[in-house]
Amino acid sequence: MAYIAAGSIMVSDWHRSPESREFFSKILHNKKRRKFGLLEAPVMPPHLKADIVRYKVFLSGKSGVGKTALAARLAGLDMPKIHYETTGMETCGVFWPVKLRESGRMLFFHFQLWDCGESAMRRFDHMLPSCKEHVDAILFLFSFTDRGSFEDLSNQMSRITEPSDRLVRLVVGTKFDLFMHTDVTESDITRFEEVWGVPVFRVGGDVSGGFGEISLLLNALAENLWHQDCMHASTSVPSYPGHIGPEIIV
Amino acid sequence: MFSIPSSLGMLHSQSVQLLCLTASSGVPLFCRGSTKQLPFSIIGSLNGVHMFGTGHDAALSCCETERGGRVLWRVFHDSLMLIGISSNADVSELHLRRLLENAWNCMVLVLGLDELANTRNVERLKRELRSCYRLIDMLLERGMDDRDGDRGLMGDLTHCADCILFPQADLLQETLDAFTRAAESEFGCLLVRGRLAVATEKWWRLAPQELVLLSALANLPPGKTSCDCPVFLPQGSPNVALRLLCFQLLPGAIACVLCGPRPSLYHVENEQVCRFWSPVVENLRSCLDQAKRSALSPSVGLRRDVLALLLINRESRRSVESLGHACSKATPLLSPARRWELLRLFYTFAATRYFSSEESPSSERPTAELLHEEFSAGFTHLPVHCYLVTDECKCYAVQTPQHQLFLLTDLSVPTFALRSVATHTLDAVTTATGF
Repeated sequence: MAYIAAGSIMVSDWHRSPESREFFSKILHNKKRRKFGLLEAPVMPPHLKADIVRYKVFLSGKSGVGKTALAARLAGLDMPKIHYETTGMETCGVFWPVKLRESGRMLFFHFQLWDCGESAMRRFDHMLPSCKEHVDAILFLFSFTDRGSFEDLSNQMSRITEPSDRLVRLVVGTKFDLFMHTDVTESDITRFEEVWGVPVFRVGGDVSGGFGEISLLLNALAENLWHQDCMHASTSVPSYPGHIGPEIIV
Repeated sequence: MFSIPSSLGMLHSQSVQLLCLTASSGVPLFCRGSTKQLPFSIIGSLNGVHMFGTGHDAALSCCETERGGRVLWRVFHDSLMLIGISSNADVSELHLRRLLENAWNCMVLVLGLDELANTRNVERLKRELRSCYRLIDMLLERGMDDRDGDRGLMGDLTHCADCILFPQADLLQETLDAFTRAAESEFGCLLVRGRLAVATEKWWRLAPQELVLLSALANLPPGKTSCDCPVFLPQGSPNVALRLLCFQLLPGAIACVLCGPRPSLYHVENEQVCRFWSPVVENLRSCLDQAKRSALSPSVGLRRDVLALLLINRESRRSVESLGHACSKATPLLSPARRWELLRLFYTFAATRYFSSEESPSSERPTAELLHEEFSAGFTHLPVHCYLVTDECKCYAVQTPQHQLFLLTDLSVPTFALRSVATHTLDAVTTATGF
């Protein structure tokens, strides 16, 4: 599926506009990201009612590339101090407010990020199918400090997904801040983007916990998921994009 | 043992280290607990002295140094050896012994007994063991450098399940039972701030050590919403993996179920969680509120001079720990962290010296450790009360057929009154909570 250019469906950099302040304040608490349980969701006052659309996103990549760290970064959780192999599958949720460019409608995207330790996936057969069950998007990760993980990407993308799968594929390079040790050059990335037609995002380094580094990635994810659902809706039975979750109280 | 004791000084003053080696060949598999790793030569000598003993039909289980350092060896299933090393006199033998047992159980929990007992490929095992590090490190930190969330959890030491008591738990119990059934399981529990609030009947029948480890594994950090971990139960199912599914309903309130290949995490999370738990969300909130203050229900009136207490139900192997109100002016003000630390130390003191019968001889424990007691060696009766006065607090322990209570009070309580304070507290807590 063709990749959607940033800003074509949603207002880019919306998190910087004053209009969005009230929405973003719902996902913040004491200047840090608010941590929601499964029974909770941001609730807006009636005049600003915003629907929540839910998507499942699977983080795929070799052991040690930083899947858990990326999930923590996107969800605004405390970053793990040392690297631990993830024991099984873990999920965390990210609420992300967006504004649609055309209709001016405001929405909360909810990304349920799935992260699975590599050794558990190797030892237990049910892990990968479970991660792929009802998945809407896959983030393929590689680390800028590990050339092997970059070279493994194409292999991984063809192994895990079928061209016919209806899902959004994005590639994320982690540990971009460690450019002194980088094993992957800019021309490698450009070539990869051309061959696969998939954009590569860079994260790493921003420890402030702000939205700066992650907003590009989250917006791209939201736009592509929305676009995918709209395309699907126009070709088959008309349906509403996303899965509108059950009513949730806060 | 000559060169070993002096080298223990290399450890950080507070630290405990855990080494794991293959029992037959002495190949180091991992080393956890200290930022500075012990040099290979020392690991070699530690293994060497143990092997020397084995060669002469002597089991070397423990050694102590004059400055309070301590080394404990234990071989599990003739396949792996764990060595616990501490350089601090505050780290008791009981603590180290439990650490070795718990660490082994963690390894079984994550990898299964077969993988550990029949090692085929050492390099592979070394890699696989990495998945246990998070859980093992969590145990190493317990009672040493308590992180906020873990405050006062003592199950790793007492081998009783840490519980929290709520006045109206019936509704939560019903909800949990229904949720567990819907997840095609009979094993389910609800954890509130790391302690068991309610659990299905079958869950309570798991071995206490398993409950402690499952609670530790299930205690997701805030922000993580769910997990699906393959687990082997060290006693109940050491060779067949089950799946532990955990759901963070509200930050700090986690519902868990143990199940087979079905249903999928996605299915339970999206179909069942909200359906069953949304109606009781307010109850969960008030439980979380109460849990901030104490693991005992508010109906229990503790005396103002109680600093901390640990109550164990000996039959069900469950425990509750709580801090007192701490508004006393008489003693040097003790921080909550210090009070938890003192409670652990007093438990160890009383449990190993006087209530040692509680120390059920576990299958593989060398019998020599049972004879450690100087007190019981000289007396035929079993003590049922004991006390200790320090310059920080006064401590009293009571043992009845059903319960054990370990109580810390501030220095203002007259020593002669400790007995009645303790028995009254025991009565008050058990009557009010039915624990």
